[in-house]
Amino acid sequence: MDNKKSNQEIDRRDFFRKTAAMSVTAIAGTSLVSSNARADDPAIMHHPSWGQKWGDPVTKNRYGVPSKYEHNVLRRNTKLLASGNFRASIAVTPIQESMGIITPNGLFFSRSHGGVAHVDPNEYRLMIHGLVEKPIVLTLEQLKRYPSVTRTHFIECPANGGQEWRGPQFNSIQFAKGFMSCAEWTGVYIKTILEDLGLKDEANWMLAEGSDNSEMGRSVPIDKILDDAMIVWGQNGEALRPEQGYPVRLLLPGWEGNLCVKWLKRLDFSAEPWYAKEETSKYTALKPTGKAIQHFYANEVNSTVTSPSPEIDWSHLKDGDVVEIEGLAWSGMGTITAVDISFDGGDNYKAAKLKGLVLPKSWTRWSYMHTYKKGDKLYLTSRAMDDAGYIQPTIDQEVSVMGVESVYHRNAVETWEVTETGEVNHVQIRS
Amino acid sequence: MFKLDRKLIISASVAATVALFAVGCGGGNTNTSTATNTLNGKVTIDGGVVYPVVNDKTGPYYVNTNIPANINNGRVPTANELKAWNKDVMPDGTGLPEGSGSVEDGEELYEAQCVMCHGDFGSGGGGYPSLSKGNAVEMQKTLTNNRWKDPEADGPVRVFGSYWPQVSTLFWYIKDGMPHPFSKSLSTDETYALTAYILNINEFEIDGEEVDDEYVLDRAKLLKVKMPNVDGFEPNIDGPNGRDNVRAYYANPTNFGALKVKYEDRCLKDCQKDSVKVRYIQNGGIKDFLPPMDSTRNLPVEKEVKVDPVKEYKNSCAMCHSSYLSPGSAEWAGYLTKGMDKVYANAIHGTEGGMPAKGGTSLSDANFKTVVDYITTGKVK
Repeated sequence: MDNKKSNQEIDRRDFFRKTAAMSVTAIAGTSLVSSNARADDPAIMHHPSWGQKWGDPVTKNRYGVPSKYEHNVLRRNTKLLASGNFRASIAVTPIQESMGIITPNGLFFSRSHGGVAHVDPNEYRLMIHGLVEKPIVLTLEQLKRYPSVTRTHFIECPANGGQEWRGPQFNSIQFAKGFMSCAEWTGVYIKTILEDLGLKDEANWMLAEGSDNSEMGRSVPIDKILDDAMIVWGQNGEALRPEQGYPVRLLLPGWEGNLCVKWLKRLDFSAEPWYAKEETSKYTALKPTGKAIQHFYANEVNSTVTSPSPEIDWSHLKDGDVVEIEGLAWSGMGTITAVDISFDGGDNYKAAKLKGLVLPKSWTRWSYMHTYKKGDKLYLTSRAMDDAGYIQPTIDQEVSVMGVESVYHRNAVETWEVTETGEVNHVQIRS
Repeated sequence: MFKLDRKLIISASVAATVALFAVGCGGGNTNTSTATNTLNGKVTIDGGVVYPVVNDKTGPYYVNTNIPANINNGRVPTANELKAWNKDVMPDGTGLPEGSGSVEDGEELYEAQCVMCHGDFGSGGGGYPSLSKGNAVEMQKTLTNNRWKDPEADGPVRVFGSYWPQVSTLFWYIKDGMPHPFSKSLSTDETYALTAYILNINEFEIDGEEVDDEYVLDRAKLLKVKMPNVDGFEPNIDGPNGRDNVRAYYANPTNFGALKVKYEDRCLKDCQKDSVKVRYIQNGGIKDFLPPMDSTRNLPVEKEVKVDPVKEYKNSCAMCHSSYLSPGSAEWAGYLTKGMDKVYANAIHGTEGGMPAKGGTSLSDANFKTVVDYITTGKVK
């Protein structure tokens, strides 16, 4: 399997190299003769098949699907993260293919603890009880009658990059950084519902519980509930996908994906926290002191270079090509304010440019224009800052506090090595 | 005069605080921001900022601020409904039902329903978590193991006995989430029995008594379990100061490996220590990706799915071929003299006479030939 895979990779790279070599030859060859003697591009000279016969009728694909040619743009798994026969598992987003700041719903990363539940919306009920004056049961229709808000937020598994505390493991951005996605969510602020229910003064914590096989539950401090916590049913203009908790999930903007309980059935308010399984056995970050951080809520400021990537590298570029280095930056603690780019693995930095909408607790695009020089070896490292004042640490800085056994919340800077031939490898720069 | 100065100083420092957040710590993004690190008069609980509603906007988003406080679209749950769903179990015993179960019964249940995933004596396997790595008190001591400075050292053992801070979590999760493919199928007594067995394989004592093979666990005994790692977590979330503790913890970045710096003070030159090296992926790394990594744009290899020629005829051909050249009609005789290859070719590529390629369908050649066979003969081969 591994051999076969690497052969395929070599084949693909050989192909690009040959293509590049051929085009260099073509240009060299034609520079001495008049332009009308150049080889004509068959893609221009021939009528393509799609231009000469009927296309599909509009009656086909009542719900549209991507072009067949995009069939390799997929969520992927690895057996390392195959727990529970892929039911307590994760499928990760191909961020090497991402554009802008929105993840298509079909590519949004999928993590569940008892498999993807398929909830009948007619039987959907949400119960809110505990330390409230008026407990309540809502049907889906009743829930959606509350005034809605729409917000763009990323959701990130706090184990994003968590396999690589002790060194790089994945020569892939999809697996090194793809435990996250970003979408425009529609739902209601929980504080809007609570206005009438009347939260009691003793309430400190809220249990959010799912209706799936695992009844995934987490304790949430009411600070978040009184700020921007949402119950959402919409994802990028349509109903949530089953993988995202259809018909209803909790959304705690910027906080661990695990806290954003899917297939949400119950909110219980209490003076004391619950110690649910996923907030003790997992999602706690063990430090070298032997103490583990619990209730580690926000995903800290982070960034990555998305282009180039180990998957889509620069081996097809010619010397002197002008190319855009692109990336994502995000912070669960606020809004991205700046991104710097380094070509020497984080020793020296230059300011990159932010692009497009810059929103709180959202993916943010950044860009840096670069003239590619064949034969140069580069170590591309990005570093983001947010408006809460945080900056990404170096690996050494983060490890000096957290050690290497934390699993969760790794946000140190990441590096791609660009080899002399344009191939890209995931490396780490550390002591 | 002195008093006036003091007032000025106070208001100036307030203004300075506001200004600090108004420019978001002076970052490269110069948009004015309403970000603040306090919520309802207290520092935020996650170390981040919030965006209070100012002039009908929270951060970049407009909001409808004219929402009445008395919207209630639902109904009050019945007592039975609350009982049916409010099944969580808290460390103080809230929600923990009366019942009992023995280690012996637990082992039998474990062998029948759990061992295939969690392994012999909870040793793990099959991608499911281990439930025990031996004596819980001894294993708890491994939590200071850290492969930071010695990569070859043993790592920490994080299983139920050594790591989890509360025993209530175990009972609750077994009752709600286990066995994984058939959750919520265990009775309360069966849950006590399995809990007893897991305490047994982790070599627990309860109230000075060993949880041996003869042990029978019940509610009162379970509430006396002392987890070795109960104090192994920070911040302390319990009690009336729990949330304050969390706020204080995340107000200090050094607690959780975070770093704060002013934009203008960030390092731009010689930022890495001289001791750093390029660390490469060892032994090829992990690459058993499913499906294998591939970024090419090509057509997927499609598996041939056979279609029903009669159905395809009705959907795509009958609008023309019911009155003329209908299935099996005598009119076909003249066309068939050209040979089937010519008939197939005309059908697949279309004709100037108006036959669209494959009748406008996207069927494979092989599948479309079966439709042609049906139309020309009136029979399905």
